[in-house]
Amino acid sequence: MRALVIDDSRTMRRIIARIFANLGYETMEAGNGREALDLLEAGEVFDVATIDWNMPDMDGLAFVTAVRARHDWRGLTLMMVTTEAEHGQIVRALAAGAHEYMIKPFTPDAIGDKLALLGLIPLEVTA
Amino acid sequence: MTLAADTFTFVAQLVHQRSAIRLEPGKEYLVESRLMPLARQAGLGGVDEYVRALRQVPRTFEYEQVVEALTTNETSWFRDATPFEILTQHIVPELGRDRPDLRSLRVWSAACSTGQEPYSIAMALHDDIPDLAVQITATDLSEGVLKRGRAGLYSQLEVNRGLPAAKLVEHFTRVGIEWEVSQRLRRAVTFSRHNLLHTPPAGGPFDIIFLRNVLIYFDLATKRDVLRRVQSVVRPGGFLLLGGAETTVGIDSGWERIAVGRSSIYRHNARRAS
Amino acid sequence: MSGALAIVNGDQITAITAEIFAAMVDGKPGLLVPWSVGDDVLMNDPLHAWVDMHAGISNRVQLTTDAETAHELTRMLLAMTPGEEVGEEDLNDAYGEIANVVGGNLKALLPVQGQLMMPQVSREAPSDEGAVQFDEVTLAWRGHPIIVSVWMIR
Repeated sequence: MRALVIDDSRTMRRIIARIFANLGYETMEAGNGREALDLLEAGEVFDVATIDWNMPDMDGLAFVTAVRARHDWRGLTLMMVTTEAEHGQIVRALAAGAHEYMIKPFTPDAIGDKLALLGLIPLEVTA
Repeated sequence: MTLAADTFTFVAQLVHQRSAIRLEPGKEYLVESRLMPLARQAGLGGVDEYVRALRQVPRTFEYEQVVEALTTNETSWFRDATPFEILTQHIVPELGRDRPDLRSLRVWSAACSTGQEPYSIAMALHDDIPDLAVQITATDLSEGVLKRGRAGLYSQLEVNRGLPAAKLVEHFTRVGIEWEVSQRLRRAVTFSRHNLLHTPPAGGPFDIIFLRNVLIYFDLATKRDVLRRVQSVVRPGGFLLLGGAETTVGIDSGWERIAVGRSSIYRHNARRAS
Repeated sequence: MSGALAIVNGDQITAITAEIFAAMVDGKPGLLVPWSVGDDVLMNDPLHAWVDMHAGISNRVQLTTDAETAHELTRMLLAMTPGEEVGEEDLNDAYGEIANVVGGNLKALLPVQGQLMMPQVSREAPSDEGAVQFDEVTLAWRGHPIIVSVWMIR
């Protein structure tokens, strides 16, 4: 499994990448939406991208819109991970095509829960 | 810092008497970490000191706090996801086959903690089967967690745990720094205090009972006793959902085990006898 | 004082900041608590991090703590070893990100929500000319003071 972590804060990128690594993911990082698009254009393939909202060059919402306009990137699951915490902002992001939305602060468990919801980590096998 | 042996013995006995939950030796760290906040609140430096004071002047209220602190677990929305899919995609259609006039549903969410499970049930049913009237009885041993469930207010960290964003925006509004469950869901859920070792709660008979991740804490005799009580309030042909590591098999023969995908659910046998 | 932030109170600032520290810095609650009234708040080398938000009215959320405390916060966030040398860039990024998350969560409380600007970190406090402070809380993180203040700015 591969994750793309998009955030202009390298601290936040490192925190999120560490959580994914502990879940067995291979990760790449991008500092804004433009860099992330460049990686996709270059042929990098990911199962999931976590996307900050406020970033220079290209913000998270613009990135989501750009990805959802491309049919060949349909397989990429998009999860906003942002400090934008208003009800209306979540609605906007979902309408633009984000699959999930996580408000900072979050715990590592919360990332795991969301990935389970999205079918991106195996659920606890039940008896 | 290590816990004195008699502190642990006393606390383990207290918790067992009041909740039937067994704290096996080796759980000293749990007693230490869960009771430390109570000790601090009482202005005492450590758990040994706190328990000593408690034993000198026994107070029912504080005993309850100790039991609560040791039996309350962190809970997330749509915990394990699968049971809620099974609920709407398998159980309700099955009940509908037996009762073509099925318009309303009674559900018991036992050991509901701070309310995430009953509200998840309410959301799943509302969103997938909107024309069904649903009454959910949510019970727990702890008055503290019931109060939180009734208030229906959750922190940012709590809503981040397993609640799909689409459900958050559909069923919650922001109130200050918290998120509040909608009136519609709150009307569907009634919270009441209940001990699983006592007579089952009002609100039945139930079509579906969620008793998840509770039996694991009990010994065999208590498991049998709890399942017998549960059976007395389930409708013939009603369903029981247990945690992933739990089963009725070998404990209580009143249930038929049904495999759904990789999970198991349990159906009350009386349907076939009748 | 009819500014938008009048509805943000000290308890809310404390609750939000404590939640952020519990989730992202410490991994458990209880290590960021209100400063004990009566204890002197001493800072030898204060370092500020703030984030502005612009709507019809502009607001600012500002953190102030000792540089050494900011270094320690950075080590925690970046999972560095105790006492490890913290670079200027890491410090600005990590401390700034805390201000960013506190600011974003407080922004959700405003009736008019504006655009969140990029966080800034400096030894020099931002100009308070024409600014009105709505509330300020002093917190203790592992015994070290951290002041969180919320402002309306021109």
